Amino acid sequence: MNRVKVLQAWLWCVSLWSCWLSHAIPLDCKDETGSLIQCTSISQEKLLDRVIQHAELIYRVSEESCTLFEDMFVPYPLHALRNQGGTVWHTKPFPIPGSKTEIQQISDKWLLHSVLMLVQSWMEPLIYLQTTLNRYDDAPDALLNKTKWVSDKLLSLEQGVVVLIRKMLDEGILTPSVFEHTLTPYDEPSPEVLESILRDYNLLICFKKDAHKMETFLKLLKCRQSNKLSCLSY
Amino acid sequence: MAYSLSLGLLYLGLLCGNGLVSARSELFTPDPSRGPHFTGCRSREQETFRCWWSAGIFQNLTEPGALRVFYQTKNFLSEWQECPDYTRTVKNECYFNKTFTQIWTSYCIQLRSVRENITYDEACFTVENIVHPDPPIGLNWTLLNVSRSGLHFDVLVRWAPPPSADVQMGWMSLVYQVQYRVRNNSHWEMLDLESGTQQSIYGLHTDKEYEVRVRCKMSAFDNFGEFSGSIIVHVAQIPSKESTFPTTLVLIFGVIGVVILLVLLIFSQQQRLMVIFLPPIPAPKIKGIDPELLKNGKLDQLNSLLSSQDMYKPDFYHEDPWVEFIQLDLDDPAEKNESSDTQHLLGVSRSGSSHVLNFKSDDDSGRASCYDPEIPNPEDLASLLPGHSGRGDNHPLVSRSSSSIPDLGVQQTKEVEETPIQTQPAVPSWVNMDFLCQVSDFTPAGGVVLSPGQLNSSPEKKKEEENEKKIQFQLLSDGAYTSENTARQLSASVPPSPGPEQGYQTFPTQAVEGNLWNGEYLVSTSDSQTPYLLPEAPPAPILPPVSDYTVVQEVDAQHSLLLNPPSSQPAICPHSPNKHLPAMPTMPMGYLTPDLLGNLTP
Repeated sequence: MNRVKVLQAWLWCVSLWSCWLSHAIPLDCKDETGSLIQCTSISQEKLLDRVIQHAELIYRVSEESCTLFEDMFVPYPLHALRNQGGTVWHTKPFPIPGSKTEIQQISDKWLLHSVLMLVQSWMEPLIYLQTTLNRYDDAPDALLNKTKWVSDKLLSLEQGVVVLIRKMLDEGILTPSVFEHTLTPYDEPSPEVLESILRDYNLLICFKKDAHKMETFLKLLKCRQSNKLSCLSY
Repeated sequence: MAYSLSLGLLYLGLLCGNGLVSARSELFTPDPSRGPHFTGCRSREQETFRCWWSAGIFQNLTEPGALRVFYQTKNFLSEWQECPDYTRTVKNECYFNKTFTQIWTSYCIQLRSVRENITYDEACFTVENIVHPDPPIGLNWTLLNVSRSGLHFDVLVRWAPPPSADVQMGWMSLVYQVQYRVRNNSHWEMLDLESGTQQSIYGLHTDKEYEVRVRCKMSAFDNFGEFSGSIIVHVAQIPSKESTFPTTLVLIFGVIGVVILLVLLIFSQQQRLMVIFLPPIPAPKIKGIDPELLKNGKLDQLNSLLSSQDMYKPDFYHEDPWVEFIQLDLDDPAEKNESSDTQHLLGVSRSGSSHVLNFKSDDDSGRASCYDPEIPNPEDLASLLPGHSGRGDNHPLVSRSSSSIPDLGVQQTKEVEETPIQTQPAVPSWVNMDFLCQVSDFTPAGGVVLSPGQLNSSPEKKKEEENEKKIQFQLLSDGAYTSENTARQLSASVPPSPGPEQGYQTFPTQAVEGNLWNGEYLVSTSDSQTPYLLPEAPPAPILPPVSDYTVVQEVDAQHSLLLNPPSSQPAICPHSPNKHLPAMPTMPMGYLTPDLLGNLTP
């Protein structure tokens, strides 16, 4: 009996000590050369600014990619598709409101989560897009580079949003991805060239739209952080 | 499956609708040739939007209510709904307010005639793609700076975003474009897109009025809004004539001063400048001759100068050189006493070999050595006297300068192996030197060995001085003569030579090879040489007094001089010189005239 107690006490001590260690030991950060340095902390506002910058850049690059693709591959009469905003090619687990009033009523938590969800939902399709673009004979290098760049930036954006969630909402994200594609249209082979072109075009348009969403949400979030009164619906 | 369906719908929509969607810029311009159609849809702030249509050629549909607009959102509602608000004030306008406006969703609108149930026009779009923002407000400018010259200036232009656009919330992110032009000009200058609310304009001209305006659009979209009102930018030119006036004055005065300085400089340094710019042409000159001399006309000096020029001509000695240099005393019978000299000189034959005086012309004129007042060492002179066999292969005696004399002296000493040649250290004769050279030996190669002349000719001394080669150099103005005196001395000092037949004067070389005389000069034999050559000779043999002169008996075929033997051996050469002229080294008494020479020359 004593032995069991002693064992339990010892286990408690060990677990507590490990917990204390995990909190005490700072995160190992690496600078450019790869050597370990002390992590530099960043304020929440700065982090949010950086996240917004990321989102803005992604949005702008997505628009440029869409234009490049359109000029290169899409026949002129079909340029109108852009205005139409693309077709919904996969359903989301929860609808995102489109009106300003509704969006203004969304909570911070919901905003962040939806941004995260959007980011995570686009990681796979963009990787797929890169492979399909490589299949084209004369895809411009700028387009390929931009697509690649966007994929990389999405990853960092996801990390930033996760940290924001943890900081602002005091939540921990346990699972990296809570979203799964309900529809994978790319599994189907598409022998026709025009059809594949249209599909990629649609993908780019939709991505641009979603990037705009991310940016808008994050900016709204920032507005709320700085001045709550002016951001509310009037 | 759903995807392919949506694609098919897309195609349908495209086929049916060809209105405003295909041409974005076409707005508010109804096409009268067409039927009822949409003329455009616009949103100002991304929260509401309006659509307009036109009846077109169908005039019977212009009354209100004949044409109706139906819309459909593609998100979740598939039903066609009618326009929520037909604007009363504006004709043919459908207004969608906030509740009906959703971004990120695509709308489709249709223009229908309900009575006839005909859809005349259809268009699909998303709201953010039809946003044309309002123009910015509050455009103003401030002066940044003015250039030094006062001709250019820079301004900073500021504005505010349109109030309708909710930029603060981030609902709309706007970018601006500033344009400016000179007033009443037709061309607008466009600057780059600016995301901020201010921009600077550089390089504007003063005294010109500029118009500035600005417009904005949503970033990542293409639709610009309307321009804001133009503002006038004008900066008056600051009158700065006062500042320019002194500078021009200073410039003018500076230039004038520099010009004056230059003129003064030129005038002061005129001579030098003339030399630099117009160098004098050199007059023709001959080396060594003073033009003044020519003018004054002193012939003697002129002659000497001119002749000195010819001193080193190589052709000189090819033409009867010895005639000019050698002064022969053929008429003097007393010269017979000098047969010993000649014998000595021609002593090469005593040894059995007959050598011919080679009187080759030598490029090296021996005059210089005779002219040279420097007198070599007594040793050198001793070497020249008889007893000295024709030593040296190339020994142009007189042709050499005095520096050659040491060589001779050395050779002489070498020759007489066991006869140490004592040379009198006293060199009195060098001070009072005669101007005649005493040729004492001829080298086989034809060089002439000069012997030192004796000033104090005492028999005893002469004896003693046999070995010492004193050369009396007597320089003549025009040649290396061996004076008669010296020749006589030489010949007198010559001891009786063994053979009178030996026309050649040799030095005690009977035991050694004969001499070949070369050169242009007479060689005065020093003595009969015998006492010098013999190893049994006394340790300090003295040169017999030798005569300085000798007589050229003949010139052989090789232009060698055949000299008379010394006078101590008068019997040696009793023969007439003429006998031997054609052939052999006998010694004719007397001088050799040019005629004889002419006979002798081959």
